[in-house]
Amino acid sequence: MKIIVYVCAVAVLVAAQITLLPYISVWGVKPDIGLVMVCLVGLLAGELEGLLVGLFVGWAMSLFSAADLAASMVAKGTVGFLAGLAGRQVAQVTPLLMIGGLVVASTLASLMTMWSLKPNDQQDSWWMIRTIVMPQACFDAVVGGLCYWVIWSRVNLDRLVEGREV
Amino acid sequence: MRMANFRSSYGARRLALGVLFAILLGFFLLPQQLQALFQEIGGPVGWALSWPIRLVASVQDGIGETWSHYVALQDVEDENQQLRKELELLQGQNSQLREAASATDRLTALLEFKAQALPTMIAAQVIGRDAGNWHRTILLNKGSADGIQADMGVVTSVGVVGRVVKTTMATAVVLLVSDPNNAIAGLIQRTRDEGIVEGTTPGLARLKYIPLLSNVRAGDRVVTSGLVGGFPRGLAIGTITTIGKEEGALFQSAELRPEVDVNRVEEVLVIQSPYIPGEDGKSDEPLPKAKL
Repeated sequence: MKIIVYVCAVAVLVAAQITLLPYISVWGVKPDIGLVMVCLVGLLAGELEGLLVGLFVGWAMSLFSAADLAASMVAKGTVGFLAGLAGRQVAQVTPLLMIGGLVVASTLASLMTMWSLKPNDQQDSWWMIRTIVMPQACFDAVVGGLCYWVIWSRVNLDRLVEGREV
Repeated sequence: MRMANFRSSYGARRLALGVLFAILLGFFLLPQQLQALFQEIGGPVGWALSWPIRLVASVQDGIGETWSHYVALQDVEDENQQLRKELELLQGQNSQLREAASATDRLTALLEFKAQALPTMIAAQVIGRDAGNWHRTILLNKGSADGIQADMGVVTSVGVVGRVVKTTMATAVVLLVSDPNNAIAGLIQRTRDEGIVEGTTPGLARLKYIPLLSNVRAGDRVVTSGLVGGFPRGLAIGTITTIGKEEGALFQSAELRPEVDVNRVEEVLVIQSPYIPGEDGKSDEPLPKAKL
């Protein structure tokens, strides 16, 4: 059942990312809602689910993008795994903490992608950091923070976590 | 306040680490094979995932259509679209006629160009853009099941849009001419100097490797040279805006303004089989036709 929910969520997410998000881009940069979802799944459901969902989201998104499959899968899988680990270490996750975590996660994933693209020179690298990595990290953090705040204020997360399979 | 997920078992963590390690090792040791495998498996998955994308794209199109036809001024919009189409057609014809006139001087190129101007093409609609921020791509609603393959050229009546880089059964990803990872063999129409057109990081294009003695100038039009597969000769790529000559450099380079506004492109043509001349200069293939 959970797998079906995840697959449907990824299908909707990929469709939205490809068709709708270009319209809400700021300075040509749009948030990566796949990354946000992976972080949330990692935090709420643990590292294994975070990793598997991350790998699947990375793979599904790379099918509709020119992005390298390996970089996309590994970046999102690692973020999901690290989010799960972080969720284990932190006693209370607040939206503010989520925002901070997403800034770090998005920056790490973007730097991994940048590294896989092998920019020509230092000027190109700095341009990518200034125009893609940093704005996207901020954008992801805002979107993720809002999503988490909505879940946090509407859903009893303790019950959600308790209901998880051990 | 949410508590941390203390209930994650140690076994799950170990399994996650194992999977992550296996994936990383796999991509390091067998990068090509693993990518090919995932791409192969991705065919049906991509086909299934393409349906929600088409659905959202069609809803989005419907809303856009309603807006442009009923909310905005209908007559003006229609007239504008008609004029725009005519202009695009004339620009395309202009580009091809210029090339034809130039090729007339070189008799051997004439027949070739005529045949090149009639490649087999597949019409496709743009249903999305790149999922990330790192590449400039568009997503088409036709894929490998329709005969589209990687490296095929993509054009509109105005000029070159880009090149197909990835396909699933129902979709194709096109790397735009303005992406830095794209490279197309180009030709300056007036001087006949050849070079390589690459995208630039701010989203324009650049013609590299122009000979130092070339008298290229701003306003010169750059077309495909047809030397590398994917595009026939004579399709408009862009117009030169500035020329860069660095001291001590072996070549010149020029900034281009792409002919096609890649941010507004909605329908494209995928060149399925550009003209391939035989040994005697005649085509080995039967006369191609457009699959529109």
